[in-house]
Amino acid sequence: MLEVIKPGLETSIQDWPGRFAYLRFGFPWSGPMDSWSFRLANVLVGNPPGEAGLECQFIGPTLKFQRDGVIAVTGAEMQPKLDGTPIPMWESVAVRAGQTLEMTFAKLGARAYIAIAGGIRNEVFFGSRSTFHKGGIGGMGGHAIKAGQTLPIGDGKGVAGRRVKADARPPIRTDKRWDVDVCAGPNDDWIDAAGQERFLTTDWKLSSKSDRSGFRLDGPEWSFTEKAYNKRPEHGSIPSNIVDHGYPVGAINLAGQTPIILVNDAPDGGGFINPYTVPQCGFWKLGQSKPGEIYRFQLLTVEEAQQRAREIKAICTEQSIE
Amino acid sequence: MMYDEPRFLPGGDCFIEIEFGDELNLELNFKAQELGHAIVEHNIKGVMECMPSFSASLVHYDSDVISYNDLKTELSRLLKSVSTTDEVELDSRLIYMPAVYLDPWSSAAIDQYLEKINPDKERDPEFVAKLNNLEDAQQLVRVHSGTEYWVAALGFWPGTPFMMPLDPRCRLFAPKYNPPRTFTHKGTIGMGGGATAIYPVDGPGGYQIFARTPVPIWDMQQRLKPFKEAPYLLRPTDRLKFVHITLEEFAEIERKCEEGTYEMNVVGYQKISLASYRAWVKTLDPNARF
Repeated sequence: MLEVIKPGLETSIQDWPGRFAYLRFGFPWSGPMDSWSFRLANVLVGNPPGEAGLECQFIGPTLKFQRDGVIAVTGAEMQPKLDGTPIPMWESVAVRAGQTLEMTFAKLGARAYIAIAGGIRNEVFFGSRSTFHKGGIGGMGGHAIKAGQTLPIGDGKGVAGRRVKADARPPIRTDKRWDVDVCAGPNDDWIDAAGQERFLTTDWKLSSKSDRSGFRLDGPEWSFTEKAYNKRPEHGSIPSNIVDHGYPVGAINLAGQTPIILVNDAPDGGGFINPYTVPQCGFWKLGQSKPGEIYRFQLLTVEEAQQRAREIKAICTEQSIE
Repeated sequence: MMYDEPRFLPGGDCFIEIEFGDELNLELNFKAQELGHAIVEHNIKGVMECMPSFSASLVHYDSDVISYNDLKTELSRLLKSVSTTDEVELDSRLIYMPAVYLDPWSSAAIDQYLEKINPDKERDPEFVAKLNNLEDAQQLVRVHSGTEYWVAALGFWPGTPFMMPLDPRCRLFAPKYNPPRTFTHKGTIGMGGGATAIYPVDGPGGYQIFARTPVPIWDMQQRLKPFKEAPYLLRPTDRLKFVHITLEEFAEIERKCEEGTYEMNVVGYQKISLASYRAWVKTLDPNARF
């Protein structure tokens, strides 16, 4: 068991890959935004890579352990301390009953992950323990963790002192600039050549109006092809309207003139076009960037993006532990 | 229209969108529903899920099992082999949804929008009536509530229906709010493009709004009988008919829904086929209105 002393800014229980087979009923995937760091935290403590753990956003929680165990903290640098003494990140650490883990603001990156040997054992809802807090679904009572809550922990046999090799950690940028992977489509043919060129050569700023349900980008206006104007009335009247359709997870959804990246808790359908999609291999960068930071999009083919996802999957295993 | 050949569009490393056409019509949605069934029936390897929408399907696949190009080939073959949609009969529940049209809650939400966001926006009922060449808001009410709605898909939010009118005499079009409204009451009924939806929870929204139902379509407490299996009421291929009620009845039904004692009217023995639907549509004057 794990007692929540302070919840942090918005710390939630997530598992990987999340609630990922219920899009047709309107459920988002949820799950950790940076699943690279998340999976490695689990591997460190001897859990399967997808076991439920905590995602800490911007400011981490303070937690008290009610029994002995092994934990690991990965992802954003939130200066974890155990009973006041700093502990290393990217390394499994033994904790004793009564000890307190305290984390603060993210010095580098945006989201830290805490894995506990045995995993968090909250109720499974529609195939996942992940929290979709805007929907009041999953996690503990449908929301981010709260002070005074006790989180149930499973049985696990972790080993302390295991470390993720330096070159197996996601390279979180220190200069606030990110090259984010995108694939063209599904609706790139609604954007004219100038608009496509502009998308790939512009510094896009991550808006402060961004959260797990959508990352809004500030940047130039979009321009469209004939298709966006000359269309049936069912589509709706503005150029980026299309007959309501399903949205791929990671789609760059064009709501009017504002691009919104549909991240883990985003709506999965609606009436706007999706000219580009951030593939799974690009998600960790979204998860580790802060509002105000700059994105440049780099175009990958579908096959390149799939290959990159395979490489990350191979990294999130025992081979990266020393 | 329906495209001669379905269009395959990539969505990142694990999605493919299949567009069958570009309008709201039952045949296109049957195609989208059928593809989902056929994928399960033929056990297409590597497909994690198929999400139908009005005139497209979104397929989530595992590229460790099947490549984009192989999946495209498999799906086009599958689409050619599935029986012509005319012969297909789908089970379709009919759900009667009580609703107050031109209700005070939508009106208040519109007031708030006019006051805080855009004072020049025309009020939704009058705006939609005018755009569709109807006499007034009263006729909008007659036309909007004159048809059964087809639940083509769920999406946007858990359990939220994307619906289209089955009666061509009740087809309406409306643009979406731009910028969107910041508040809409749970149960509000509205439309955008050619689609009608019900808001499952309080929240922001973009549809033109003019009615409200006291019956939940999303309830985590699963208080009413039709929620026994899931926290959402509607499924694709359901039909829904709005039934006029008074404000007094609204309050009474709302109370019963909260208590879990409201008896919903869900009719469960009917089927719908494209052939019989088409035959009926042919008998209608497409320019007629209620």
